[in-house]
Amino acid sequence: MTQEKKKTPEEMLQEAQRMIGNETKPVANQYPVEYEPIRRYCIMVDDDNPMFLDPEYAKKTKHGGVILPPFATFGIMSGGSPAAMARWFDAAETPIMPPAPGKFVVNMAQEWEWSKTVMVGDRLTSKVRLADVYIKPIRLDPKAFWVVVEMIIGNQRGETVCTVRNVLLLHRSPEEVAADQPHKGG
Amino acid sequence: MERKQLYWEDVKLGQEIPTSYSLKLDATRMVLQVSGTQDYYQVHHDRDFAHAQGVPDPFFSTGFISAALGRLLTDWIGPEGCLRKFRMEMRRMNLLGDTMTVNGKVTDKYIRDGEHYVEADVWCETDSQGVTTPCKATLILPSRD
Repeated sequence: MTQEKKKTPEEMLQEAQRMIGNETKPVANQYPVEYEPIRRYCIMVDDDNPMFLDPEYAKKTKHGGVILPPFATFGIMSGGSPAAMARWFDAAETPIMPPAPGKFVVNMAQEWEWSKTVMVGDRLTSKVRLADVYIKPIRLDPKAFWVVVEMIIGNQRGETVCTVRNVLLLHRSPEEVAADQPHKGG
Repeated sequence: MERKQLYWEDVKLGQEIPTSYSLKLDATRMVLQVSGTQDYYQVHHDRDFAHAQGVPDPFFSTGFISAALGRLLTDWIGPEGCLRKFRMEMRRMNLLGDTMTVNGKVTDKYIRDGEHYVEADVWCETDSQGVTTPCKATLILPSRD
């Protein structure tokens, strides 16, 4: 029985870089934006802003109702975490998450640009694009993969409400790094 | 609960953002984090999993940190202000047991295409790590004119 040769990080990188530009189809969120997830989101940082929590107060503002906290847009669409995103990407028709030697994921940087306010009741859609992938060493892993993904979030009127660009670090554990080292002869 | 409205004319270059606050990052806060973000990645709540990754303890998620920074800014700018752009870098971990403070300082203000902009450096810092998450924010405020 022959065992398939394990790919090197450099071979995986070549494969990953061919995926740059891959984009998913827009996916509609199952539910509209709702009050309760906003309440839970605000409670975690003791945020009592009535714009997000009090329908009577919010009705009298220029928005005319409760709005989604600006940074909640991404979490509500993706389940919040890089791991959740990875599962979502794996299920997508177009593969977005590239192969990488390490499975531990850390979100290193995030860039946001908002163009519309999101209200309770809005129906959001999103699509995701693989923007870049490269190797850059970190203390734990000399062949850590850096993956840049963009999520474009829209509403029921076809308007883009915000774009979120994430820089994800995928790395191996110290044990995995040691196991992947080529054995020295002698 | 009512929020005061901030106007562009009232912002001064170099001023600190007055809505700075601190949170104790204890176990209860970690549970609230999972509930609020719906982020179940174990590195944000499971000590054994965190250790297996080579990090000293579970650390708070990007979703939690951005929510904390969002509170700082939306409390300050009032109901008619809005965030336009934001960049955050997760340089160090906000660890279980730390006390985290969010703060900021105005770096620029200008008018472009009829909109009244403010730029600010904002950040999270903890008692064990110092500045963990340096950020840059671009905001739009209403004008008194």
